[in-house]
Amino acid sequence: MTAGAPPPVLEAVDVGYGYSGPTPVQALDGLSLEVKDGEFVALLGPVGSGKTTLLRIFAGFLRPARGRVRCSGASVDGPGWQRGYVLQEEAVFPWMTVRGNLEFGLLAKGMGPDERRKVSDELLELIGLTAFADAHPKELSTGMSKMVEVARVLATDPSILLLDEPFGALDAHTRQRMQDALARLWAQRRKTVLFVTHDAEEALYLADRVVVLSPRPGRVKARFTVDLPRPRSFESRFSPEFLALKRQVWEATGLDAG
Amino acid sequence: MMTWTKARRAVIALVALTAVYVLAAEIGHGRLPERLWLGAHYVDNVKLLPTWRQLTEEGAFLIESNILVDSVVVSTRRVTLGLLLGSVAGILLGLLTGAASRLEALADPWVAFFRFTPALALLPLFVVWFGYGESSKILLIAANVAVVTFLGAHQGVRGVSRVYLDAAASLGAEGWLRFRKVVLPAAFPSIFSSLRVAAGLAWVTIVVAELVNAQMPSLGYLLALSGAYPRTPTMMIALATIGALVLVFDLLALLLYAWGTRWMERAA
Repeated sequence: MTAGAPPPVLEAVDVGYGYSGPTPVQALDGLSLEVKDGEFVALLGPVGSGKTTLLRIFAGFLRPARGRVRCSGASVDGPGWQRGYVLQEEAVFPWMTVRGNLEFGLLAKGMGPDERRKVSDELLELIGLTAFADAHPKELSTGMSKMVEVARVLATDPSILLLDEPFGALDAHTRQRMQDALARLWAQRRKTVLFVTHDAEEALYLADRVVVLSPRPGRVKARFTVDLPRPRSFESRFSPEFLALKRQVWEATGLDAG
Repeated sequence: MMTWTKARRAVIALVALTAVYVLAAEIGHGRLPERLWLGAHYVDNVKLLPTWRQLTEEGAFLIESNILVDSVVVSTRRVTLGLLLGSVAGILLGLLTGAASRLEALADPWVAFFRFTPALALLPLFVVWFGYGESSKILLIAANVAVVTFLGAHQGVRGVSRVYLDAAASLGAEGWLRFRKVVLPAAFPSIFSSLRVAAGLAWVTIVVAELVNAQMPSLGYLLALSGAYPRTPTMMIALATIGALVLVFDLLALLLYAWGTRWMERAA
């Protein structure tokens, strides 16, 4: 690192983590990763490569057994709103309305009802769900619910977003629409994003950099810089540069071997 | 719309059940034996299946003499008070032990002990402690209701998905706010379904308690008295009344459950 350069917003150095239990599993081993301010990094890897483990370490739910993890230069002691974490599972609160979900983080911060409403109105418009403000999540589709979860962590305006396969459960069509929505959100709000996925195309479409993890135990296998112009569109997915990168990424993940 | 279809079917089923009984009683009228050996002596004029006419005559008498209404009022009052007392105590305790894992280990053996202890096993003790009056019966119901709702609340809190807790923690919610806005509503389905079980159990408890410790007026006493003669029309009317009250309480509990879980996705 050259002198004077700002420190990375997310930094993992030689991180190792294992799960004990009847079948002990070494999830991560000697993993190092940096995400710079405002950067969108996709973490790509097969099932069991420790992607979720790494994200949960950054989110503050797990402590690395080895190595160290820092966020904005400080160590991570437990979960907090400063890192907006969207879980892989569906975690929208079904007993709250859409607005209630969006305002929950602000409520935790002790913000008054009028201010909360202002923020939630803005977020509802951002994700195009103004008409569903007072609906319960059971009335939403899976894609809409996921968008509520993303918007919910945006409410408290964290500088970092940790997204764990947010669109993993969606059909291809919805997935693309959600990717575009996320790309727009990111362009507007310029967060530092660490995005976990097992879909190479999704990683390339969204990210500035793609980090490929090896199967268990997870460590960095390859890194790619995605130098495609933004905003990216449907056409970008078929540009020669995109396809060439996709091929390289697939080869790095070992998909070429079938 | 769905609810009306269901309600209509329930009414049809009840009417059909009554019709089958009335028909059977008519067929049996004059054909069934009316002189019975009841262990020690013969009893004459026993109606094994009272006919509709006998039932309505007896019903008219029980209503005009205020016996039935008084019994319903007394028994319903006991059940309602016992339910309120027991569920408040049970739910509060269950929430507490569910939220504090150190208390859980303390509560476990007590729950296991009382869970399968028959309600009536406690009755002699409760009579000694609280006398023959209202309090022993109300408290007996409360004790049974408390065990059921305690389990419902305890397991409800314990069973809250890690996903919701993690999401809440990530959004910066801790302590009381997290409990009130996340843990409690997530435990509602379990709490309210235990309340529904408790509503039924409260009636089982009171009728049996009133049978054993029979005092006028009460539905249990009405049953005990009609068994002593034996006077089957009174029995049938007492049974139908208890059944109707259980149905009403179950319906109320169901409405409460539906309200508490209105955000849940339901199979149609």
